[in-house]
Amino acid sequence: MPPPRFPIPQGTLDMLILQILSLEPAHGYGIAQRLEQISRSVVQVNQGSLYPALHRLQQKGWLRGEWKQSETGREAKFYSLTAAGRRQLAIEKDSWARLSGAVNLIFEEGGQ
Amino acid sequence: MIQLFNWLRRASLERGLDRELEYHYDRRVADLTAAGMSEPEARRRAANELGLAQVVEEVRDVWLTRWLRDLLYDLRFSARSFLRTPGFTAATLLSLALGIGATTAVYSLVDQVILHALPVRDPGQLVLVDWNGDDLITGGLGSSNLMPRPICRDLQQQTRFLDGVLCRAGIEVNLTAGGDPRPVAAEIVSGSYFSVLGVGPALGRVIEPEDDAVPGAGAVVVLSYDFWQAHFGGAADIAGRKVLIGNHPMTVVGVAAADFRGVDVGAVPALWMPTSMYADANLGTNDDLFNGPVRWLQILARLRPGLSAAQAQAGLLPWFRPWLEDSTHRAGFPAITAERRRLYLTSSLILTPAPQGHSPLRSSLSEPLWVLFAATGVLLGLACLNVAGLFLARGSARARELSTRVALGASRSRIGRQLLTDSLLLGAAGGVLGVALAPAAVRALIAFLPHDLAANALRPSLSLRLLAFAFLTSLTAGLASGLVPALQAGRDNIVNALRERGGAGSGGVRLRKAIVTLQVAFSLILLIGAALFLRTLTGLLAKGPGFDTEGLLSFAVAPAQNGYARVDASRLIRRMNEQVRALGAVRSSAAARFAFLNGGAWSNVVTMQTDRRTVSDRSVNFNAVTPGFFATLGVRLLAGRDFDRSDSRPSGEADGPRCAIVNEAFVKRYLAGRNPLGVLIARGGLPGVKPNSPIVGVVADMSYRGVRDHSEQVFFPLFESDDTGATFYLKVRGAPEQAIPSIRRLVRQDDPRLPVLWFRTLDDQVNRSLNTERMLAVLSASFGALALLLSLVGLYGVMSFVVTRRTREIGIRLALGASRSSALRLVLGDAAAMVGAGVAIALPCAAALGKLVQSQLFGVKATDPITVGGAALILIAGALASAFIPAWRASNVSPTDALRLE
Repeated sequence: MPPPRFPIPQGTLDMLILQILSLEPAHGYGIAQRLEQISRSVVQVNQGSLYPALHRLQQKGWLRGEWKQSETGREAKFYSLTAAGRRQLAIEKDSWARLSGAVNLIFEEGGQ
Repeated sequence: MIQLFNWLRRASLERGLDRELEYHYDRRVADLTAAGMSEPEARRRAANELGLAQVVEEVRDVWLTRWLRDLLYDLRFSARSFLRTPGFTAATLLSLALGIGATTAVYSLVDQVILHALPVRDPGQLVLVDWNGDDLITGGLGSSNLMPRPICRDLQQQTRFLDGVLCRAGIEVNLTAGGDPRPVAAEIVSGSYFSVLGVGPALGRVIEPEDDAVPGAGAVVVLSYDFWQAHFGGAADIAGRKVLIGNHPMTVVGVAAADFRGVDVGAVPALWMPTSMYADANLGTNDDLFNGPVRWLQILARLRPGLSAAQAQAGLLPWFRPWLEDSTHRAGFPAITAERRRLYLTSSLILTPAPQGHSPLRSSLSEPLWVLFAATGVLLGLACLNVAGLFLARGSARARELSTRVALGASRSRIGRQLLTDSLLLGAAGGVLGVALAPAAVRALIAFLPHDLAANALRPSLSLRLLAFAFLTSLTAGLASGLVPALQAGRDNIVNALRERGGAGSGGVRLRKAIVTLQVAFSLILLIGAALFLRTLTGLLAKGPGFDTEGLLSFAVAPAQNGYARVDASRLIRRMNEQVRALGAVRSSAAARFAFLNGGAWSNVVTMQTDRRTVSDRSVNFNAVTPGFFATLGVRLLAGRDFDRSDSRPSGEADGPRCAIVNEAFVKRYLAGRNPLGVLIARGGLPGVKPNSPIVGVVADMSYRGVRDHSEQVFFPLFESDDTGATFYLKVRGAPEQAIPSIRRLVRQDDPRLPVLWFRTLDDQVNRSLNTERMLAVLSASFGALALLLSLVGLYGVMSFVVTRRTREIGIRLALGASRSSALRLVLGDAAAMVGAGVAIALPCAAALGKLVQSQLFGVKATDPITVGGAALILIAGALASAFIPAWRASNVSPTDALRLE
């Protein structure tokens, strides 16, 4: 029995995808694996919801996709960040930091 | 936007997604089997994790957004279901296409004749300047907004209120450019005309103020673009060419902008010339038109920005009053009573907004056109009702399908949206068909129009405005016909609807009955209109012009337009009259100064001297004719004698006509109860007028302006040496057209430069003068027939439906002993209630609308009980006939079959 995992909070999937792609371009399956690793199997990502998110981000112009040879030798669609995607990642990181900071503050105050 | 782009490349998007997901799936399976899972197990696991079908759906949502996908699905679904029911689709499409096509066609004319602003700079600032003061001196004549030229020049100084003033008159000139001379329409305009309107040249230059500075200053003409294209082949070297206006050489200096056709819709000028050249235009007067007080021009002015017409009108008063005062001291100002003088001095200029310019065609056509537009509006409403009824019927046939969808979780709004998509798709398709029909319909409408010129001025082309109108109309029609069924959708209780076996839900029977009632009302309104216009037309045809048109031919010449002096023109006309009479095919011939049945007339008030002096209370129509005129036309001489040769005064003797002949209407109105012969009369109503022409004869009434006309008329002898032109009337043997070549030869012998203005048979002229009436009658009759058909089909449909639904009830009644005739009565009573309600709605509406069309009618009142009753009777008879079939079926229901049906 694996430990119980949280469903990913609404709206954070986009941010995580952008973060992963900021390190290096990756294809869908690679992103899914990276998500699993990074979140140390604590956060549960429905693999199915990954692709709508990728296409949404691509349509917003934050990602670009291109077909390249993958590590197995087959063609795969590799996503990478655009300049606009990089800016968006910075914005999201910043607002996340502020939000979590604020939530922490509230918890600490409540704990006293 | 990006969504539409995505939709266009959706195939390649789908392929990409498939490859992407396939890669993911294969890698996952490979990884899982590598970790020791059996292959089938790994496949199942990978597929579960991914949730393929849902992912694809969700990604598609990303590409197209939800509503667009739904709309596309709905459209595809609607199109497919329409293709499955071709009968229904054809019926609805045809209804809408006819409604939209007719409305668009009539709107095209309304737009061109009534609404369309001139293609000039800021047409909204243009005002027509009129003044009623002069009527007080001349005795109250309609002036068609005519003003003297000096006032135009003086108005131009009023720059505080006006940004520019122009004056113009529509004239006809004989133009010679290369080949034969030909009569063309022209505008004679002030030098400010083009600059005030803001119209430039397409080539060369336009008329400028210097051309119009002093009489004779600018012997120049500017051609209209269309005329340049049609008659000079768009020659690039046109500027500088010499042409003849009448006999006067003028220089073409340019071509006006392409879309500009003068300020008078319906009279498209071939050319423009400056008012300074009025003498060369041969207007048939020796007066000083440039500086004198003769009213012959219309004035249009451009308001200063920010001023309203009323403000400018008030602002001009302080200048205008002294101008009036001055004018009373000018030479030639007539002696008038003190009361009239006071009124004259307090009269004012009247400024009315004129963004569409000035147009007699508009005033004569706008009412019939609005009537037609209203009729097509009713027709379109009826078509929408028809489609709505058909939709409701289909909705009840689809009740099970819809209920199933509701049961499966579709929301009512979602289903309503689907139904609305249906009707919008139909509306759009109907609109496309309607627009495709419209140009042909407009061409047919234009052919009906009374004026020859209308044919030149109006175009059957589709403008952007027209397309926008058709689009809006289709959208409205689609919405209107789909809204009620859409709202109705899913109203029914799901369980009941699913349980019902016949597949017929309650389906809004009450709604369908209401729709049929409205249809009946609409079609009765159209039927009444059709009956009224048909009676008008038949009445006018039966009345006729007052003479026998068979074998009558007319043609006209205007020698004054070619620069003939009046004496010479009279001599030429007299000679031609003799020559024409000598032609073999001609039984008899005569000439008149003014043409009949042409819409125009020579008119003024008449002063009569019996035992006292009286002035007619309204204007009387005049004409001057040769001896034998009445005999040629077959107009009966009721008393006295015809003119003879001795009645014409010899040249140089100018003391009014020697005698006059009046018509019956004149005697009835002014000389009732006395012997008209010998009474002295004269044209005009001023105190200085001397009645000195004795009445020598009385003739039967005949039409002058048009067939409707039953005016009072006075005839004077022709050939008093003051003629400018004449229309000849010939009674010929055989077909009138055969005489034309010999007449043409004859005129050419007399003067090769002189064009014949027209050849027309009188049959043709009577027909032409009834064009408007015929258009109204034919169109309203076809609209009425169409409307009747639509509403009868609607009634039949709803009654059949009712009978089907009540088969069981009727069967039980019959089984319990009810008679077959009672079943018949049951159904017919139902239909009669609808028809009765429809008639009750229609009658007051028709009475109210009748006031609007009264002026178009002849010999029948809009509320004429026989006409209205007849129309209602036709409708009721038709309605009962169409309800009888389902009723008869109901009465033949076999009780056992009906009960077994359940």
